[in-house]
Amino acid sequence: MATAIETVREVTASEYKYGFTTPVEEERFPPGLNEDVVRRLSERKGEPAWLTEWRLAAFRRWQQMEMPDWQKVKFPPIDFQAISYFAAPKQKVRPKSLDEIDPEIRRTYDKLGIPIREQEILAGVAVDYVFDSVSVATTFKKKLEELGIIFCSISEAVREHPELVRKYLGSVVPPGDNFFAALNSAVFSDGSFVYVPKGVRCPMELSTYFRINAAGTGQFERTLIIADEGSYVSYLEGCTAPMRDEHQLHAAVVELIALDDAEIKYSTVQNWYPGDKEGRGGIYNFVTKRGLCRGRRSKISWTQVETGSAITWKYPSCILQGDDSVGEFYSVAVTNHHQQADTGTKMIHIGKRTRSRIVSKGIAAGRSDNTYRGLVRVLKSAEGARNHTQCDSLLIGEHCGAHTIPYIEVANRSARCEHEATTSKISEDQLFYCRQRGISEEDAVALIVNGFCREVMNELPMEFAVEAKKLLGISLEGSVG
Amino acid sequence: MAERIGRRRQIAPDPSFAARFEELTRRLSEPQPLAQARARAFARFFELGIPTRRDEAWKFTDVTRAVNRPMRLAEPRPVAVELLAPYRLGGEQAHRLVFLNGRFAPELSDCARLDGRITVTSLAELARTRPELLAHSLDALDDGRSFTALNAALVEDGAWIELAAGSQLAEPLQLLFITSGREEAVMAHPRCILRLGPACALTLIETHVGLGEAAALTNLVVQLSLAEGAFLAHDRLAFAGANQTLLAKLDGELHARSRYCQTTVVVGGALVRTEQELRIEGAEAECLLAGVALPRAHETVDNFVRVHHRAGGSHSDQHFKSIVADRGHHVFAGKIIVHPGAQKTNAYQKNDNLLLGDNAEVDTKPELEIYADDVKCSHGATCSDLDASALFYLRARGLDLETSRALLMHAFAREVIDRLRDESARALAERMVTARLGERAPLLRAEPLEEAS
Amino acid sequence: MTALLEIENLHARVDGKPILKGVSLSIAPGEVHAIMGPNGSGKSTLAFVLAGHEAYEVTDGSIRFGDEDLLAMEPEERAHAGLFLAMQYPVEIPGVGNLYFLRQALNAVRKARGLEEISAAEFLRKAREEARRLGIGEELLKRDLNVGFSGGEKKRNEILQMALLEPRLAVLDETDSGLDIDALRVVAEGVNRMRSPERGFLVITHYQRLLEYIVPDVVHVMVDGRIRRTGGPELARELEARGYEAFVGRLAA
Repeated sequence: MATAIETVREVTASEYKYGFTTPVEEERFPPGLNEDVVRRLSERKGEPAWLTEWRLAAFRRWQQMEMPDWQKVKFPPIDFQAISYFAAPKQKVRPKSLDEIDPEIRRTYDKLGIPIREQEILAGVAVDYVFDSVSVATTFKKKLEELGIIFCSISEAVREHPELVRKYLGSVVPPGDNFFAALNSAVFSDGSFVYVPKGVRCPMELSTYFRINAAGTGQFERTLIIADEGSYVSYLEGCTAPMRDEHQLHAAVVELIALDDAEIKYSTVQNWYPGDKEGRGGIYNFVTKRGLCRGRRSKISWTQVETGSAITWKYPSCILQGDDSVGEFYSVAVTNHHQQADTGTKMIHIGKRTRSRIVSKGIAAGRSDNTYRGLVRVLKSAEGARNHTQCDSLLIGEHCGAHTIPYIEVANRSARCEHEATTSKISEDQLFYCRQRGISEEDAVALIVNGFCREVMNELPMEFAVEAKKLLGISLEGSVG
Repeated sequence: MAERIGRRRQIAPDPSFAARFEELTRRLSEPQPLAQARARAFARFFELGIPTRRDEAWKFTDVTRAVNRPMRLAEPRPVAVELLAPYRLGGEQAHRLVFLNGRFAPELSDCARLDGRITVTSLAELARTRPELLAHSLDALDDGRSFTALNAALVEDGAWIELAAGSQLAEPLQLLFITSGREEAVMAHPRCILRLGPACALTLIETHVGLGEAAALTNLVVQLSLAEGAFLAHDRLAFAGANQTLLAKLDGELHARSRYCQTTVVVGGALVRTEQELRIEGAEAECLLAGVALPRAHETVDNFVRVHHRAGGSHSDQHFKSIVADRGHHVFAGKIIVHPGAQKTNAYQKNDNLLLGDNAEVDTKPELEIYADDVKCSHGATCSDLDASALFYLRARGLDLETSRALLMHAFAREVIDRLRDESARALAERMVTARLGERAPLLRAEPLEEAS
Repeated sequence: MTALLEIENLHARVDGKPILKGVSLSIAPGEVHAIMGPNGSGKSTLAFVLAGHEAYEVTDGSIRFGDEDLLAMEPEERAHAGLFLAMQYPVEIPGVGNLYFLRQALNAVRKARGLEEISAAEFLRKAREEARRLGIGEELLKRDLNVGFSGGEKKRNEILQMALLEPRLAVLDETDSGLDIDALRVVAEGVNRMRSPERGFLVITHYQRLLEYIVPDVVHVMVDGRIRRTGGPELARELEARGYEAFVGRLAA
């Protein structure tokens, strides 16, 4: 068994090893966005009229909106007319079985280390493979169906389970919630849909692997996960993109709904292309993720390891509506070179005795900027609410920035909120100690950073923890010395 | 966080402000440089407008209702000397400047012992004798804040205080602001400029007292500069009236090895907003800020703090507390900014709140913005009711619930009160806090603890 | 015979302040040298200079380690070459498991020495065996590196690392400080087990007590950045009997 450091070594040989492009024939819309494009997109996907109208309403709403400017991250204006809103590998019909998948696409996922197969490495994980705008494959569907679990692309869900989609789509993140959510609602292409029926404990991890391949496109996927009463599901999200000089926009929306006694665990290892050392290219990762703990004693737990993207700007949040519901947010955000991150969470306490826990670890190196921004709001109704927040920042080098912006708003006297945060640099003493024992400086940094993040890493499912550990080492390559 | 789009971050000032401005300039008919500086400031005020809660700096407090309405410029109203007696702080030897509705009242002040170590000039006098100097200092502070601009436009009086190099005053200097009104809402815009030369030392007591029930706005601006090695202890006590608004802006500059220790106690006032921006410009300077506020009824106390570390080896500490009852509201928005190159900075920030009212609210936003790596920075915030186990402990020792609660609240506030530099300020703060905490508390204070338990 | 460690005229400073002012010292394989001296005499500085801490600036002199120029090497290269520093204040690293760290370090050193990686089973066997000898419980092995360890536990943990890393030269910086008599014996036994004709030791201590258990071949007395006297084990006893002050006073006179 290789230890973490050696794995880091292997991987670090290449800088961003997911940066290749797949030569597949793509069908795509010309750049530009108007009502017609929205209609064509909906038509191309064979959607029912209600969804077309829903999209159009969102589009009209979006047109009335302005790009927000309160964020710490800075970027030049985005030309939304220069983006192509649909790109998909050409295929006449969606393959019936995994064997019919385009060999090029199959090879892509092999290279990414997540082969489209129901065996070996991913034996315990069912995967939905999203390639640019469409889902290309979903594994283990049969096995899940036996338990009544629906796991498919959202396009398929619109066709096969319209009543569920219609009921829940936009119920947590309304189309007009914010600028990028409105855009997503108008043009979302594909994404994953999960429904876990009453009392079912999903026996395997469900996972979506997002891959941006085409140039000049944006990715606007939509994920909707519903955990019915007493159910449990653990969901993983991974992503990569080719290296390109241009910035590409990824504006996803994720909605989670947990009913009474249900639990959703949502983990992300985000490794979009971060741009090069000079800050050229890379993904703009502007995502709205929100979970609604609608039921009593429900629980939603977000875990994210953010190492990629030129800009990460997102706040996976929990609305704690049901009494005794629980929200958790565990985050590691690493920025290096010219990367920027403005990320955190919102915990909205509505129900009685709701509890939330926030653990955020930010690591800034190079010339990067890393911001934690979080909101804990205790409404008057949230009798006995509890929150504990811990935010730690680690600085590596003197040209980076680390910022902590927590908002704490409490309107119930029986609530108890605690927030703690620290910022410090990587300890010279720790580095020296490791080196004295023979560990190289770069490995020592990876080791110390992994230790710094362990509390969060422990929350990741096994399959992801190894991957995430590797990523930390890679992301910080070249940050010392 | 996701700000709704299209809402305005400021609204246009009430037209009556323009009338007041004209009235004032006509009455004063000042020479050009000063008149122009005022005109520039007034234009700036209109440009900036009145901030709404869409303005991030005012996210938790709505100032528009209290401020954006017709108000008269306050006239100095005579006040019975004995009414002031409890607020005359600093002892027999203290220098004291008393301001009635923002105007310097020499007959109530104690300036007889002022000597060459310290120069004190009322701003009204400065406007007459050195208009260009006042014009310059009004121009010098444009912080993008509309109330600072409004102050520059409408300032009528205040103090210009200078300490010559090496002056170390054992006796304190008190600035006592008395605000009172009859029926009509009034406003005053005093300004104080305080300059401490190298190696100076001073204890400054700033006291705000509201008398009467009438609505009033005091819009104070304090400009502070501490030269190398200077030391300033700044005790601030605010006892504003139930219908009064106090906006107190402090702009400070700390040079190498200077030390600034500020302690603020706020008991009373419909809205008390203290805003401060302190810039550490020199190495090894120290900036310690502490405050406790006890809003109740519909009162709001809002602390807005920015501490900039621009030089290395400096130290700052913010510790703000609140005890919030009834429908009271407490806001803390503090920020530490460590600028590039300010290595070896130690900066801390803490905000503790006791939320005691069923309709009370606490909003806190302790921020760190850090651009240097060799730093130690931390912050923390807590919000809760009184600690149940401590209450139980006291009750198990025989204290009744009310007494136990009063005792714990008092202990909570005392941590800040004890930091007041001046003994008489400490005693007054204790009295005011005790009175507010309820009738049980004086008993505890008057008797030694052993007898009470 | 080639010396294991050859220090010549070593000058070093910290924050611009000269601490070492011309130290010369030669350790042959198999020898145990002790350096004694009052607080602030430069003993720990010498230890950190040997290990390559960058806060310690060498301004003059040379150090040869076997046939290599020690001062030209990075800290980890010195470790790979077989130099081990047991620190007076071992550093805590939260989140990094004690055993995990030890295995990382061991494999890094082995790799540099052209050896194969140790298997997990073999590693665990060795680590546990050594830990048992040092009275280090399983629970301590599983905790984060030095985090929440008592002073004595940290020192024993240092000796554990030394035993597994098998250095050619071990520098023990005040390893006896903060140890009670039983812990001191355990630590000393750990060191004595490792004595061999190839391995050298440099034992830095304030008290003679440790040298009762680890009997040195050579004792140096360091005062104000220089070695003032060199002798046999009897020198340590002389120091103990007469105290540093008398000794320093006599030296100064």
